[in-house]
Amino acid sequence: MTGTAQHRVTLAFSDGVEHEMAVDPGGSVLEAGLAAGLPLLHQCRSGSCSSCLATLVEGEAATLPGCSSSLLASERAAGQRLLCVTGASSDCRFALPYDSKVGENRAVEGHAFVNAVERVAADVMRLELELAEDCWFEFRPGQFIQIKVPGTDQTRSYSIASTPAELPKIELLIRLLPGGVMSEWLLGQAAVDTALEISGPYGAFFLQEASKAPVVMIAGGTGLAPMMAMIDVIRARPGRKPPIHLSFGCQSAEGLFHGEAIALRSMWLPSLTVTTSVDRGPAPDGVRIGNPVEAVGADGPLDPETVAYLCGPPGMIEAARRHLQALGVAPGNIHAEQFVAS
Amino acid sequence: MNEATPVRRRSTVRINTTSDQRINDSKTQSQYQPYKDAAWGFINHWYPALFSEELPEDKVEGIQIAGIPIVLRRVDGKVFALKDQCLHRGVRLSAKPMCFNKSTITCWYHGFTFDLDDGKLSTIVANPDDPLVGTTGITSYPVEEVAGMIFVFVREDDFPLEDVPPLSSDLPIRFPENSEKFPHPLWPAAPSLMDEGAVALGMHRTGQSNWRIACENGFDNAHILVHMDNTIVHALNWVLPLGILPNHEEPITLIEDEDGPKGMMQWLFTDRWKPVLENEALGLKIDALNGRFYRTSVVMPGVLMVENWPEEHIVQYEWYVPITDDMYEYWEVMVKVCPTDKEKAAFKHRFDRVFLPMCLRGFNDCDLYAREAMEEFYADGTGWDAEQLVSTDISPITWRKLASRWNRGIAKPGKGVPNATKTSSIRLRRLAEGKAPGYFVQKIEDVNSY
Repeated sequence: MTGTAQHRVTLAFSDGVEHEMAVDPGGSVLEAGLAAGLPLLHQCRSGSCSSCLATLVEGEAATLPGCSSSLLASERAAGQRLLCVTGASSDCRFALPYDSKVGENRAVEGHAFVNAVERVAADVMRLELELAEDCWFEFRPGQFIQIKVPGTDQTRSYSIASTPAELPKIELLIRLLPGGVMSEWLLGQAAVDTALEISGPYGAFFLQEASKAPVVMIAGGTGLAPMMAMIDVIRARPGRKPPIHLSFGCQSAEGLFHGEAIALRSMWLPSLTVTTSVDRGPAPDGVRIGNPVEAVGADGPLDPETVAYLCGPPGMIEAARRHLQALGVAPGNIHAEQFVAS
Repeated sequence: MNEATPVRRRSTVRINTTSDQRINDSKTQSQYQPYKDAAWGFINHWYPALFSEELPEDKVEGIQIAGIPIVLRRVDGKVFALKDQCLHRGVRLSAKPMCFNKSTITCWYHGFTFDLDDGKLSTIVANPDDPLVGTTGITSYPVEEVAGMIFVFVREDDFPLEDVPPLSSDLPIRFPENSEKFPHPLWPAAPSLMDEGAVALGMHRTGQSNWRIACENGFDNAHILVHMDNTIVHALNWVLPLGILPNHEEPITLIEDEDGPKGMMQWLFTDRWKPVLENEALGLKIDALNGRFYRTSVVMPGVLMVENWPEEHIVQYEWYVPITDDMYEYWEVMVKVCPTDKEKAAFKHRFDRVFLPMCLRGFNDCDLYAREAMEEFYADGTGWDAEQLVSTDISPITWRKLASRWNRGIAKPGKGVPNATKTSSIRLRRLAEGKAPGYFVQKIEDVNSY
């Protein structure tokens, strides 16, 4: 029942800041919140990217007629909603997984220069950019930017692999796809000093506030990018570092990359353990055959306070969520960014 | 036609950054990149601040460690340490100490008054009802005092106090509890600052080089060549080799016990290192009579221990406490366990007559100028890339790697502090007045004249 009446909706940020507003019948909670000037994270506005994820804690709220959401049935059952396609069926209350300061990192548009383009695996490119004079933003590790592919009207989204401290430099890890517009540009035309149109930062997937709770990171392919940023930020945070398990997986040995960068992090951060997997053999020394999801929890039970970060293709995210919940990780402590290759 | 504004690269000139590009990005170098980034030192560690006798009851002193100005005050015997930078407009509280009671220190400029215990703004002299009172404050630093030395845990503003490790985790390992792990058949167990009855005698002074250059000198087994002509070596006829070469697959063992200090032990005067006593090509031969066995180890955040030095039952500790990126406070401390006043007096007597003039000065003066001789090669960051290391450099390389792993944070360039801006006119005036930049605050001595 969507109803015909206006309802009062309360949005609670993780830092305790709350806002109450009216949501019109047939309208989305996101539109109402943005109209009220609230710092809500969002991007696609069409129920797919999950940037506007929130948890319904009181009342009823359903997907608006004619819209669809990329949430799994189990996620919906756990109260998760995408605010851009959610209406209020009664007065209700949502908990947001981020604090009221995050949305202040508003996305900006501008340019960035190419500093380096480098092939790091059979199907992965490393692209280093530097924000141009006309562009500056702050971001949280885990967030992504969009790039307009030169010579086309297409944009692509990539997680930032470097840290805010390294700005104006930005490092991206980009998967090469046969025939992909970005892939063709990277392989054919990308050159140092090219200026690209970019916008960002976007996304509700980012490192949570510092805590002592153990961290699990599961990364499939270029899903490693946001994890690198988060690991480097954790390393620079003051105080005792939490144990971190990074489980990184690729399809085959030819697809592996960043081995040296990962090894350095293990050297610099005693609390970091890394498992690397390939779906199919042969596997080089120290690499297991299997998927990166199963590698988590293989050595014993997880701490119930564990905070998990997942980044990879939808199938991996879904499997990882199920696996982690079965191991006792609270659904609210599982943060995910899924990407669809394009 | 409306031309779009051209897109430009941003200007990237920055002050006080370390070299962010190296010429050779060899694997070894990148393994200790965090160390190369630590020009201003490692933060969130325990450092010596003052000798106890330098801070008598009710005295206030201002110092600087790893780019952080720190004010110390002793009240009823207990030492307190706060950030020496008023939150109002940055004045150093220690420049003209103002204390109206036993529990606070007041900024002498506008009267902002801070609790010694936690740094909280407890009142403002002429504005006690200001809404700011009680809502903010300056960073406080945990303090420990042992064997006549005051140590401060120099932390980032948001390093949680509950995460502060015990002082012993930033001091050298102890004996005899480590005698089995690190046997020392040629000398008795080295004393420790933490031992009952330990007496620490020493000095500290400012050296004009980066702290890393200084620190690496202490355990560099090829550096002893600089000491070949030191007076004490000849007076006591010591066999001090020309150099000592690694001669084993594990000449150095890492110290990485979970809750203990993190560092490395060098197996000197065992078959793992070979002393070189002769160079035929140059016609050099050491033919002194008296063996002088010792062993060096280093732990985070850069604490040297020289066991059995300069004689039995004494240990020499050294710290190279970063002040800025081009100055460090050099601490040379000899520790001996003296259970009775008589032994204490005898140690002091020998220290004053022999060790102070001939070891801490004399012998170690030589280290001080040797470090400064290396400083300019590294000062602009290029030395880290250009250095050509050899086999004996296994010691500094191992240290750089372990420091990259076990540091609790990399100090950021000092903000709003003395000597961060090398060309400030106030700094130049003080130089012209003959006051070298250093560790202590420049106090206002006479309130009526300047």
